[in-house]
Amino acid sequence: MTTHPDDYIKPELMACCGAREIGDGDIVIVGTGFPTMSANIAKYTHAPGATMLQESGVFDARPTRPALSVGDPCLNPGAAMIGGLVEVMGMFLQGGWIDVGFLSGSQVDKFGNINTTAIGDYHKPKSRLPGSGGANPIGALAKHVLIIALHDTRSLAERVDFITTPGYLDGPGARERWGLPAGTGPKVIITNKAVMRFDEATREAYLASYHPDTSVDEVVKLTPWKLKVGDDVHETEPPRAEELKALREVLDPFRMIKIYEKRGYV
Amino acid sequence: MSKVMSTSEAVQRFVNDGDFLFIGGYICRPPFAAVHEIIRQKKRDLTVTRSNAADDFDMLIGAGCVKRFIATFISLGLYGLARCYRRSLEKGIPHKIEIEEYTNLSLPLMLMAGAMGMPFVPVKDMLGTDLMKVKAFMGENKYRMIESPFDGSPVMLVPALKPDVAIIHVQQADEDGNAQMWGIGGDCKWGANAAKKVIVSCERIVSRETIGKDPSRTIVPAFKVAAVTEEPFGAHPGYTPGFYDVDFSFGYTYQQASNTEEGFQAFLEEWVFGVKDRVEYTQKYIQKFGYPQFKKLQAKFDYGYPVSYAF
Repeated sequence: MTTHPDDYIKPELMACCGAREIGDGDIVIVGTGFPTMSANIAKYTHAPGATMLQESGVFDARPTRPALSVGDPCLNPGAAMIGGLVEVMGMFLQGGWIDVGFLSGSQVDKFGNINTTAIGDYHKPKSRLPGSGGANPIGALAKHVLIIALHDTRSLAERVDFITTPGYLDGPGARERWGLPAGTGPKVIITNKAVMRFDEATREAYLASYHPDTSVDEVVKLTPWKLKVGDDVHETEPPRAEELKALREVLDPFRMIKIYEKRGYV
Repeated sequence: MSKVMSTSEAVQRFVNDGDFLFIGGYICRPPFAAVHEIIRQKKRDLTVTRSNAADDFDMLIGAGCVKRFIATFISLGLYGLARCYRRSLEKGIPHKIEIEEYTNLSLPLMLMAGAMGMPFVPVKDMLGTDLMKVKAFMGENKYRMIESPFDGSPVMLVPALKPDVAIIHVQQADEDGNAQMWGIGGDCKWGANAAKKVIVSCERIVSRETIGKDPSRTIVPAFKVAAVTEEPFGAHPGYTPGFYDVDFSFGYTYQQASNTEEGFQAFLEEWVFGVKDRVEYTQKYIQKFGYPQFKKLQAKFDYGYPVSYAF
């Protein structure tokens, strides 16, 4: 019998939502934070055959402490293979082998486009952000992309200020026109309020499930575009006992995940 | 022939104002000893590149050494946005650098193309995004779109990069410059081999015989190398696998200092201009933070089985 303890925090729920999108046997390219936690929860529960890569060049790392960056020293000892960017981004990602990519961004829009370049005008930025890094190629080439975002009218947008990473660009047919591989694109946006999926016809994100302490109305109100509501909209399943056990006892015993509460994921 | 020299001499002889530099590293092995020396020698108008830049690039920008940056990403990792980089682009302090933006797929492949003598390379990233709209000093040559001569599909070509100088930090090298690296590679091997000459900074100089016991680890052969510098602790506050860990508390110190222009200048005075080389830097580190803290960063040993190449 699946039980759902009620003492979880919102970032834990989000990590579990991410985990549930990962299939057994998937090859997952991860950053730090949510992606690593989600991929590991999946591995310790329903997807023991999932394998992680870091873009810096690591395949199947076995870290003994939480990695604080994709270049973290703890990713080295125990990995099955270490190369560099040409191997992971070139041979494996561009080569078409990556099933799942995890991304987050300062701004995400209704087509799942992500901005990590600049807020405001590119040439006179209000805020200059780090740039693409590996995000653009992951968004272009991973089979499924999972996006993590804050649910407010600053982080979500009808249209991002700058498309660093392609979602469905300007809508239906756009990825195909640019020759991005068939069947790729964002699959889900996981926020601190809801899970949104993409309509196959319009390529717009719609509300699939709302988290337990919120409602359809609240999520619609917090979304800066006219958010469509899925026919089967429902409450997000809270973290299962076995998911929380993996997260707290194995992956994150010091509960570093709490820093995401300070970053607004409440 | 030995190419061993001090970092000061290597930078003086092989890095000129206006040069195009590849600076290797990926939190792993940033060549900080050489980066500080470039700042100390007040090199100017440099074009710099690597995928995923960090605090070393931020310092070069803040110190006014950089004119152009062929970039994919820059941050202070755990500590968020890179402060000097933002001041440069948002406020023009000390001046506004020009930035040409690629990604962690296209840039490594451009370096690979440079290393292989290919004029350009097809890539599958950037398509359809605003990265295609922003072009700086490379202008129309940032990329070109063609129809594939094989099947007519749209293909993006990006040009090969051939830096004047590559500076990398590795675990060990011999006196001629055969350089051996292990652990996370980033774009180090390709950046080094794309360059016309390479400065190899290393944790230790070993014999040619030692190199020959495990030659598969060599990423740059001696004939490409102009200088070899022995710089233990040379990647600090980044790390070198098998030698020392990332220094997160020093990373925080740099973030706090670089929050303001004055703080950044004070940091340079203390850690760059205030010491003459990496030996003094390391002594200063131990004096300031104590030997136990220095010791704490040192790596444990966990050897694998020795490999045999015998027949």
